Amino acid sequence: MAKRILLCDDEIHILRAAEFKLKRAGYDVQIAGDGQEAWEAIEVLKPDMLITDCQMPRLDGLGLVQRVRQNPDTADLPVLMLTAKGFELSHDDLARKWNVIAVISKPFSPRELLRSVDEILSEEDCTAKAAGGLDA
Amino acid sequence: MSGSKSTDLLAVGALVLCSAWVIAWAGGLVVDSGWWPLRLGLLGAGLALAGPAAALLLHRLKRNRRAAEQHFEALCRLDPRDLSGDGTSDDVRPLPADNPWCGIAGRVRQTLLEHCRRQQELEHKRAALEVRCHRATTQSGQITSIFSELAEPILAVDDYGEVVLANRMAAELFDFDPENAGSRALAQITECQKLVNLLSAASHRKTSGERVDEIEIGDGEGNSRWYRVTATRLAAAEEETDPAEPSPGGAVAVLHDIGNQKELQKRNAEFVSAVSHEMKTPLAGIKAYVELLVDGDAEDEETQEEFLDVINGQADRLQRLVDNMLNLARMEAGVVGVNKQNRPLNEILEEAVHVVQPAAEAKQIKLAAELSPMYLGVLADRDMLLQSAINLLSNAIKYTPDGGCVTLRSRLADNQVRFEVQDTGVGLSEEDCQRVFEKFYRVKKDKNMASGTGLGLPLAKHIVEDVHGGRLSAKSVPGKGSTFIITLPSAGQLT
Repeated sequence: MAKRILLCDDEIHILRAAEFKLKRAGYDVQIAGDGQEAWEAIEVLKPDMLITDCQMPRLDGLGLVQRVRQNPDTADLPVLMLTAKGFELSHDDLARKWNVIAVISKPFSPRELLRSVDEILSEEDCTAKAAGGLDA
Repeated sequence: MSGSKSTDLLAVGALVLCSAWVIAWAGGLVVDSGWWPLRLGLLGAGLALAGPAAALLLHRLKRNRRAAEQHFEALCRLDPRDLSGDGTSDDVRPLPADNPWCGIAGRVRQTLLEHCRRQQELEHKRAALEVRCHRATTQSGQITSIFSELAEPILAVDDYGEVVLANRMAAELFDFDPENAGSRALAQITECQKLVNLLSAASHRKTSGERVDEIEIGDGEGNSRWYRVTATRLAAAEEETDPAEPSPGGAVAVLHDIGNQKELQKRNAEFVSAVSHEMKTPLAGIKAYVELLVDGDAEDEETQEEFLDVINGQADRLQRLVDNMLNLARMEAGVVGVNKQNRPLNEILEEAVHVVQPAAEAKQIKLAAELSPMYLGVLADRDMLLQSAINLLSNAIKYTPDGGCVTLRSRLADNQVRFEVQDTGVGLSEEDCQRVFEKFYRVKKDKNMASGTGLGLPLAKHIVEDVHGGRLSAKSVPGKGSTFIITLPSAGQLT
């Protein structure tokens, strides 16, 4: 079954470009226009990965990640942040505090985004298999 | 020999002879009694000589004594203020040399004159010191006034960290009474430990020089401001005699308010961050779609065209952003030439309506112009005022849903020319009504309704208010619509 990815960005063209690339790679891609919409979608869709922008209306990227980590059902959801804020955000802080697995700066390369997504989800697969093997 | 001395000698001589003859006659040394008429005659002659001589001597004695008395009395009355420049006095002349008192009188006179001269000098010095003291007191008062009224807070502490001096601004900043600040430790007056440490470090420096730091100081009510604090060591009195062994003498701190500077720095940083974000967004779109095309992800022509349109649109967006930023920057810097002339406002507004008409028609928005039939003259730069009208109309059209209404009105009101753009769009909250004129500010919930740089309204505001002396304001009801109002001085009022 195709992995489900939730894309969250208030810029429609960014969403469209990332969605196009990931869908062509075989992923099930859902989109949201802001953090609040993304949070409601996470509760319903149960995605395998979240890719989110940082600056968004209603609920920004950091607020969204905070909610995801504080909810036991979603605490382990892999998160990749796509942001134009660049050096204003400390990647180490994001990784340490909020377990953001990767940060990609805008302007971004859809190729690089796809590569990062592939790596993260295949690692998750390995981790899940290893945990399943131990349980067995 | 002087004449008076010769006279004295003759008189004395006559007295001595007469006395000798009297004594000899009385003693019977002349034994021949037959010479008694001669003896009587000689006695008479001697007495005749001795009498006047004695009278003369007596007179002279009295005269000298009187002169001496007068001299001493004059000396007693001598006032140091009456001395002449060479330390003498015309009221006390020396006794004549033939006066037997002249020697001692002269010494007394000299001594007294010397004392009087010294007294006079002391009096002069006292007067000079009094003048200097008065000047110093006046100067001290002026310095105290100036120090007290200096715009920057200044305070000094001793080597124990106790406040020894503070001006009014320092007292207001730290909320204490400068009259009663003495013997209070600085750490008791303020909670700003950084300031206390800075002064302590400056006070204990072994060399002269200052320490500078930027410190945020609170007022105890939740407000704080940034100050650049310059702390300088105060030299102790002992250093003047032994500079090799500097001892702590305290420190003085001058606090320069840099709150506005910090605010400006913060706003500049925010502006750069906003510009960076605004420029990266269309660039991200361009890069992403170019890469999709390069990688062959757009397999069909329709998708390719779609991607190319997006790239084109984002490039246009970037260009508008750069143009608006440059225009705004140049206008704010005063680089753009302003050509103000008396112009009919309605003509400019009609042209603005003509420019935005296609955009209104594309959204089926009813665009109406209800302009005053009166001549409304304004002293304006045509291109700039046209731009601001276009920006307002364009904004109204963007944030009005399809099928809505945008109305442009103009009229004369209270000797001012007024025009307004009213729409039936999404409306603004009260906060957004204020913030919508900030650079790059875009109402978050409406961002996706239309593209924009967030510079159109700030540009219009600058043109109306800074260039033309007018006013631009907004009122709105969320969900119902907004009205942007521009007022300008009437050209009739200005001429």
